[in-house]
Amino acid sequence: MTFNAALFDPTQIYLEIPAAVQAQAWQQSQTLIAPQSRWQAYLNQLCLNTVLPWLQEEYVPSAKAWPQQRSLANIWAVVNGTAVTVDATRFVFIPTETLDLGELRVPKEWIDLPSWAGNYYLGAQINIDEGYVRLWGYATHQHLKQEGQYDANDHSYSLSETQVIADLNALAVARQLCPDEPTQAAIAPLPPLASTQANNLIQRLGNPDLITPRLAVPFELWGALLEHGGWRQRLYEQRQGMPEQQSVWQWLQSGLTNLAQQGGWERVEFQPSLAGARGTEAGQTEVLLVRQLAIAGQPYELRVLPQCTPAENIWRFELRHGAGEQIPGGFKLRLLTEDLRPFENNEDVAIAATEVLYIEVALAPGEGMVWETEPLPENYDREILRF
Amino acid sequence: MRPRQNLVEIFSTFLQFDGDRVSGWATDGRLRRSMQGCLEQSNASSTADHFWALYWYKIWQAQSQPLAEAHLSAYLQEVGYWAAQKTATSFASSQYTLSDCFQIAIARIATVLKGFNPKQGSSLKNYAASLFSSAIKELLRQRQEVDICTDWALLRKLSQKRLIESLQNTGIPAEAIARYVLAWNCFKTLYVPNQATATRKLSKPDPDTWAAIAKLYNAERHNQVVVTEPQASIETLEKWLLASAKAARTYLYPNFVSINAPQPEQGEFIDNLPETAQDSVLAELIAEEEQRDRQDQLAQISTALTAAIANLDPPSQQLLQLYYQQSLTQQQMAAQLDMKQYTVSRRLTKARETLLLALTQWSRDTLHITLTSDVLKDTSTVLEEWLQTHYSPSDSLSRPEQSP
Repeated sequence: MTFNAALFDPTQIYLEIPAAVQAQAWQQSQTLIAPQSRWQAYLNQLCLNTVLPWLQEEYVPSAKAWPQQRSLANIWAVVNGTAVTVDATRFVFIPTETLDLGELRVPKEWIDLPSWAGNYYLGAQINIDEGYVRLWGYATHQHLKQEGQYDANDHSYSLSETQVIADLNALAVARQLCPDEPTQAAIAPLPPLASTQANNLIQRLGNPDLITPRLAVPFELWGALLEHGGWRQRLYEQRQGMPEQQSVWQWLQSGLTNLAQQGGWERVEFQPSLAGARGTEAGQTEVLLVRQLAIAGQPYELRVLPQCTPAENIWRFELRHGAGEQIPGGFKLRLLTEDLRPFENNEDVAIAATEVLYIEVALAPGEGMVWETEPLPENYDREILRF
Repeated sequence: MRPRQNLVEIFSTFLQFDGDRVSGWATDGRLRRSMQGCLEQSNASSTADHFWALYWYKIWQAQSQPLAEAHLSAYLQEVGYWAAQKTATSFASSQYTLSDCFQIAIARIATVLKGFNPKQGSSLKNYAASLFSSAIKELLRQRQEVDICTDWALLRKLSQKRLIESLQNTGIPAEAIARYVLAWNCFKTLYVPNQATATRKLSKPDPDTWAAIAKLYNAERHNQVVVTEPQASIETLEKWLLASAKAARTYLYPNFVSINAPQPEQGEFIDNLPETAQDSVLAELIAEEEQRDRQDQLAQISTALTAAIANLDPPSQQLLQLYYQQSLTQQQMAAQLDMKQYTVSRRLTKARETLLLALTQWSRDTLHITLTSDVLKDTSTVLEEWLQTHYSPSDSLSRPEQSP
């Protein structure tokens, strides 16, 4: 190893970036078109691919990147920071290339968006040339929010080197001895954004010539747009110059796009006799979309099935246990409009344990739907399905 | 190094270097008079140097007084010296001299005083020793990195805070700093490496990138600097950026001449004295009492930690010994144990974590402290100091007679 690393301190965590991880992170980041996004994705991917295996090996095998895999690119395209969840605790790593440890500078998104806010924030110094990640200090959400200096120019909170806790051992001990210490300061939710507003923002901020979309509109608007996984994905696609998202009909007819597959969807064909009676004519092959979920540590399946011809546009959403067991009482399956408004008969609740939760909806052509469950699946990020 | 003979010397003299060798002690007249005055007034109730260190610390804490800081700076001279010596010898390069390392340490006095917490059962000397040594190591590491970076690479590797400090250090006015920082932000956003490695050798941006930087700067200047801010040309931006890189290099190699020299005689310090003298009796009493509690607490901490070390497996015990006692770098340890360096680092960190856990449990159970991350921050400091002391049987910190 190298001279530079000779001076390291046992209060810090020093992790090697294996050459294969580096090559892979580079390759993964190349899908991003804008150079600044590509580089940001590279740094964050390096950080994630180095830190996550270490966390899993050394502390908690169940540690996971947040949110789902597909969303990482749409986040890193516009914001720096990598989140890892361990049960209900979220760690946000802030990778930088800085040679000094002057400050821990956290983008406002990771502090002020209620669904993004973490419990602990860690400074991750990435030395690409020497091939290591060095975790050099951490702070809680509360520290950052209360003592951090807010910079209105780049929408960030920062703590100086002497304000952060420089001993990473302390974090490990805190997790063991005071796992319930209050770490989060109160955050007010952002006002909801209507679909038309969101679409206008996506058009405007989707222009790839706009270098820093996160700073181009007031945070309330930007934050609400970003927090919605479906809109964030559309913003990303727009900035990437990708075509409009296909409808579920198109997926069923001509196969899933790569993006849909990355989102976790599968297209499944099967005979109604296997699926049980569902009012379709015998002998006709049925096509549906399936997505695996993990809810409360159990496997589940979300299914989307057409109930009629494309012209009628009636759909059935089903939630089933992945191993044929019962869904516990209290679970909910819910559909929302694109801008997250409920509507009549938009949810099904398991009053007692049940085999299936389902909702049937008739939709206007091109209408978008967002699904959610209660409790939320692991690594959930909202998505818009278009019909 | 000649040991200092008495309390007056300990609190009023400064180490002098001739090249890389210690040439002697220089006395600061005002500090000498101030310390003499104190000892007379207090009837020399205590002759222990740590008592007076705590006294001056309390004065500093109450009044942020430059006089108190100067006394404590004199007091911590040996600590700085030993920290520097330890690092300079364990660090293979002859590029960094002993006096250089010493200056880096002594420049951290203000940080030491801000971070020190006597309630946590620690002594100022031990706390300073551990802070000095990590400050020296960190600064040397940064210098190495800076030395091999091109200006353009260096600019990409600065934190915004460091950039601003570097610019302030050159005396540039605040409005100009705002321009430089915006230019730097535009540069950093748009000039990214287009290969996976070799980020230290970046050359000057190409014309297209410069054009993009200028465009972004000129679009953002109204929002971020001031509404009337004029356009900046590519040439201007390049000039600002190069000046920023230069400022950052200079900031890492400050001119230390003035830091450790006795101050020129001025009346201000002396005029403040009567006020401090009023507080002194109280401060002494508090200091004495706390001193006793602390000794007791330290003994208990020591018992708890010695037991925790005995419970570690022998390889972990060996790692702690090599690192804290023999002051080997992790690289040297890796060579000696025939392990990869990051394995050494991981195991050493894990061993230290076990000790921190034991110490924290002890504090919780004995002192009935409600644990939070903030408490752990202090506990970590106590552990680090204890490790430094525990593993140095010669106790070089408190024995100035051990000459280099």
